[in-house]
Amino acid sequence: MTALIASVKEVPAVDYYTSGRRTCAGCGPAITYRLLSKAAGPNTVFLGPTSCMYVANGHQYLTSPYAVPWYHTQLGGGGAAGIGTAAAFRALMAKRKRKNEDVNVIVYGGDGGFADIGFAGLSMGMSYDYKRLLFVLNDNESYANTGIQASSTTPWGATTTFTPSGKVRRIGNVRLKKNVALTVAAHPGVKYVATATLHPPLDFINKARKALDSAGPSFIEVLTPCPKGWFFDPKDTVGFAKLALETRAWVSWEYADGEFSLTYKPRKFTPVKKYLRPQGRFSHLIDKQVDEIQRMIDDEWKYWEEMDRQKRIILPWTSAPNRAIVALA
Amino acid sequence: MRYDDSPERDHIPHLFYAVFGNPTIDVMLHEEVEPVGHVFSAIVVLDSSMLLHPTSQRALVFDGAKRDAVLVVNTSLSAEQIIRLVRKYSLAEDWDGKLVTIRAKDYDGDLAFPLLGALAKALWIVSLDDLIAALDTLGLNKKIDSVRRAYEESKPVAVKIRAEETDLARKRIGERVELPVPTRGGWWDAATYEKYQRAAAEAQSYSQRIGAMPRWEALAPGLIEFGPAPGKRNIGFKTSFSRYLRPVIRIEKCTDCKLCHIYCPDGAVDFGRIKINYDYCQGCGICAQICPPKAIEMVGELKAKEGLNEEEVTTVAGALREYGY
Amino acid sequence: MSTQATVPKTVILRKNYIWTGTRSVAEAVKIADVDVIAAYPIRPYTGIMNDLAKMVAEGEFHSEIVVADSEHSQFEIAKHASAVGARTFVGSSGVGLAYATEAIAVTALGQLPVVAVAGCRALDDPGNFGMEWNDVFLFRDFGWLVSWAKDAQEALDMTLVAYRVAEDRRVLLPHFVAMDGAAITHVSTPVETPTKEGATEFLPPYKPPFPLDPAYGAVTKAQHIAPSLIGPEQRKLVDFSMKNSSVVIREAWEEYFKHVGRQYSPFLQSTFMEDADIALVSMGAYTKDAIYAAKKLRDRGIKAGVIRLRYWRPFPADELRNALQDAKALGVLDFSYSMGSPDFTGAFFTDVRSALYQVGSKPLMIDFVLVGGREPKVRHFEKAIRLVQEAAQRGKVTKIVHWLTLRGEDV
Repeated sequence: MTALIASVKEVPAVDYYTSGRRTCAGCGPAITYRLLSKAAGPNTVFLGPTSCMYVANGHQYLTSPYAVPWYHTQLGGGGAAGIGTAAAFRALMAKRKRKNEDVNVIVYGGDGGFADIGFAGLSMGMSYDYKRLLFVLNDNESYANTGIQASSTTPWGATTTFTPSGKVRRIGNVRLKKNVALTVAAHPGVKYVATATLHPPLDFINKARKALDSAGPSFIEVLTPCPKGWFFDPKDTVGFAKLALETRAWVSWEYADGEFSLTYKPRKFTPVKKYLRPQGRFSHLIDKQVDEIQRMIDDEWKYWEEMDRQKRIILPWTSAPNRAIVALA
Repeated sequence: MRYDDSPERDHIPHLFYAVFGNPTIDVMLHEEVEPVGHVFSAIVVLDSSMLLHPTSQRALVFDGAKRDAVLVVNTSLSAEQIIRLVRKYSLAEDWDGKLVTIRAKDYDGDLAFPLLGALAKALWIVSLDDLIAALDTLGLNKKIDSVRRAYEESKPVAVKIRAEETDLARKRIGERVELPVPTRGGWWDAATYEKYQRAAAEAQSYSQRIGAMPRWEALAPGLIEFGPAPGKRNIGFKTSFSRYLRPVIRIEKCTDCKLCHIYCPDGAVDFGRIKINYDYCQGCGICAQICPPKAIEMVGELKAKEGLNEEEVTTVAGALREYGY
Repeated sequence: MSTQATVPKTVILRKNYIWTGTRSVAEAVKIADVDVIAAYPIRPYTGIMNDLAKMVAEGEFHSEIVVADSEHSQFEIAKHASAVGARTFVGSSGVGLAYATEAIAVTALGQLPVVAVAGCRALDDPGNFGMEWNDVFLFRDFGWLVSWAKDAQEALDMTLVAYRVAEDRRVLLPHFVAMDGAAITHVSTPVETPTKEGATEFLPPYKPPFPLDPAYGAVTKAQHIAPSLIGPEQRKLVDFSMKNSSVVIREAWEEYFKHVGRQYSPFLQSTFMEDADIALVSMGAYTKDAIYAAKKLRDRGIKAGVIRLRYWRPFPADELRNALQDAKALGVLDFSYSMGSPDFTGAFFTDVRSALYQVGSKPLMIDFVLVGGREPKVRHFEKAIRLVQEAAQRGKVTKIVHWLTLRGEDV
């Protein structure tokens, strides 16, 4: 039985991803990394595909915030890095070249890496049976490290440097946000897949523990608000995570041993404009487009509720925006 | 420093170099990494809290400045207060130049254009008429009023500071760093690495920092470095330089819920007895925002360190407005 | 070069088989007791992985075999397994190697002693199972050691020695063993192999100096750096290791001879050079055809030597210069192209010419470009020798590059 943390005061005190790095003030992925390191503890190896969580955590010399072993890997190499590391531990332990014990292997990658260039590698990673292997996707909805470019997890209508809003092309990003976690959950034999965000405070850290104990490769996609990429004041990072849940712009769920359940069900649905309008990246949207996003969220929610009722995953669910609204862009 | 210390991340201070006139290629290339010699005629500081800190690569605001350089500061503080800050925190050489302070808030909320007016006044290189003509050519007629008023209203003052008056100069010129002498194939271990790390971290200038870097013979093959011991923080990189606001805890209001510790992106809030480590706090404000009993207040860095009430703080919201959001 | 010494009595009993190059390499990997293998199929190297998978399934040795989703993942898996402390094996051919290039670069620059086999194959486009060297040449500069086999026996030997050299603390660099596609991968010839015990004596266990393992400590590997602070120093370490490798290579082959009684001159094999003032320089399987052609022409009074490089990186420049010190002219048998290069030669020619630039009396040089995967015949090699002979007699080269196997005008 996984040892879950019951209250914030019982959170492990030590950060294995510690202070002293060049991350933005208010960085959502950094908060998540700290919590992940607390969940995992000292018997852990972290792999870092190229991302903010690589470059911002170093970028000079003679500086390391990692109090456990850590190795860089290539942007598309996250899946392979996790598998290679886990395979080595398993081989060395089986051949008695190293003592037998639980070692966590965690790949902490961004959405650009895992959802795009590393998608195939992640898929390969989830198809194996290495225990204590966890892939965590910190989803800040862009390639943030290179200066905020669109990835396949960038939501419809968001401004990025590759999808800027202009006089002729006004909508910004035309693609719909890819739900990576759902795709991963569709892999045969997966033991644990979940989504999370920074709220509630213990949600992600407990999911990480469950994932590590789940006896197979596991995956968690965490919505990690990004002040630089979403254009908001750094003090509001946690606030936006909460809003994302309350407006259902982000849905928190768990798929463990083949059983699906929503882990956050807002009783009152806050209108999505409360989430979109304060973010600079959506400031070019007209009211009709915001309303359309609300409609898409309401539509999708029916599927999430149905999945929660049936306790299993059903597809399809993504609602496409109305052509007339797209034409306004 | 400009390229080497990029990319831009929120709150990390950045130096940008602008060259106008007939630049030579040599000069420009050097400036990409480190100013060589005294080349800058003007320094424009958008937020006065930047005068408190070196950059993350240990550059001071005045590095590379000509002796008679002009300093333009966006601030609500007086010239005397600014001069005091400069003497204490950002100047390690002789300065015999001018200071002009301007409060951008007084000029329709723009930042760039009032500063431009103040800069032109202090530098005397370009006349007001030429400046207005340029703005007209560029289609920036809406900004002409801002620039003109700033130009007319700003009052450059002469400043004379000798290096021997400043503590910073003494610290910088200081001792050479003592490093272990490496031999070929003598790879470093965690203990030796920490010696290098400490020396580099304590460097007071960019060249001192370079001087503390290891020779290749000291490195271990395979791009190997060492992380801090569990429970310790990374001494190789501190982030106090990125603050213009700092959180202050009223411990009597604190209920010890630990949420500030959980939610600090920089891990700067100690867990046991709730306390902020200001070496690593970037002043993002999350702790104050989420604290349930509102026991944390964000105080200006200048107020906290020097008792100065700076009201002209460049906020992210203000910067976004500047970007057109 | 040592004389043929008496094989010591401690030589472990050898076994003889008729094996393809791929099967031979698989044997080397098995007796080296590799821990992690990353597989992905592409002709003509796939046979190695097929054989290894079968061996593991049958319990002949224990290894993790991961079937990757691409060559890029394949090489990343091997790299990360090596970082933890596993002995690893990986390989590919042609465009598969091209796909893995990013992973291949970082493995060398991060100094991990992965051993990989390249089954040399023409790059796309078009798809072509024929043999060319350009796939391996993609990695010329990163810091991988590259040895180049002439037959299945040498492929096996080179694979074992590769582990020994790569894992040596003075080196710690990854190592390719290149073997020409089809000619070596798919042709069966008699092969002797050491036993597992013999290999274990020759190969000490792999002990990385800084394993990525919480049991060792908090190692941070490959942090992003600022070049003004540390860039050139990190590259120098790779350069230094590559320079050290020559000594280690020499030692390894001397030691290997003691175990198997098979002696090799470590860096290059020189044939007929004692009384020749012209030479052919090449690598790989087709040098035996070149030697055959040289022998035939000797009967007709043309004395040519053949020099075969066994290592391409580190490039044995001193050894090559010594071997050619009396040569008036040489022809490079070049299974690579280098479009747009100086004089529009092949890529291998550029290396050879560059090495000989330092020599006082530079020999005349001709490049015989044998690309597109078409197998050259003995008559092509004879023609090559005659052209070199002509140049030596005339004292000049009129045409630097000859595409010997081309149908049509060789402009």
